[in-house]
Amino acid sequence: MTITYDNINIGDPIPTYTSAAITRTHLVRYAGASGDFNPLHHDETFIKMIGMDNVIAHGMFIMGIAGEAITSWITHKNLRKFHARFLSMTEPVDRDNVENTKQRATIIVTGKVVKKYEENGEKRIQCDIIAKDLLGSRKLDGFFIVALP
Amino acid sequence: MVDKSKIGFEFPAYTMVVEKAKIAEFAAAVALKDSKNEIDPIYYDEEAAKQAGYKGIPVPPTFMTSFFFWADGLMRIMKALDVDLSKLLHSEEEYEYFGDIYPGDVITSKMKVVEMYERGKRDRIGRFVNVTVLETEIINQRGELVVKVRSTMIER
Repeated sequence: MTITYDNINIGDPIPTYTSAAITRTHLVRYAGASGDFNPLHHDETFIKMIGMDNVIAHGMFIMGIAGEAITSWITHKNLRKFHARFLSMTEPVDRDNVENTKQRATIIVTGKVVKKYEENGEKRIQCDIIAKDLLGSRKLDGFFIVALP
Repeated sequence: MVDKSKIGFEFPAYTMVVEKAKIAEFAAAVALKDSKNEIDPIYYDEEAAKQAGYKGIPVPPTFMTSFFFWADGLMRIMKALDVDLSKLLHSEEEYEYFGDIYPGDVITSKMKVVEMYERGKRDRIGRFVNVTVLETEIINQRGELVVKVRSTMIER
């Protein structure tokens, strides 16, 4: 069904989006794709040097996953604004301990419509969005605005 | 990073061409896919993109972050703000979209420091958290502002 301004209401949820469990390989792929080669995201020797336990995902990677959640629901040519606030770090799954680490590395994105309004001659909606891991830890929150027919 | 004289500082403009293969690579990365064949075809197939209502292959919503890194952005802000890598944290990011970006577009990024302030409680050695807000205008080859980026960085 095409999503239109008239058939969407304040409080309506956006479809829940669940990522695969993030691996170190996913982090390296994102590093190459984005050009962000901060060693924090792939080099365990650097991590140990600065007293951390594990490499962590790029905040922008989690925002990218949230962007994928949005565009798998609504065509992004109508996206007008996308805002994210980074709340906590995300550690990838350990290949040698998948059962105990996959939950911290799996991202669930949820959201809901919070505003309907007209601006610049367009009908627009604003949706709150939140990304958590499967343990309930909040990774990112924010909002996005789309124009609807 | 508390050096408020840096407010208004403009980084040198950086111009680059949007590469088609980099779009598919980015789309695969954020979808956690191993191959471009598993992603939405609008990101690699021009016909699929046109059928979906685009003039050409579009970019994912956060793709502009790659312009920052290709412009050596991290090094440039570390130098300009005099902060080292292990202390710099990305706190917020916002994109405001005014137009589309397609493969072959020649994109110029103009980044400047728009705000610097201290927030929160003093830490154990008596400092506040230093906040720097960067604004980047993403302009295409026709001089059109296509995206405005607002990035908030903190020094921990």
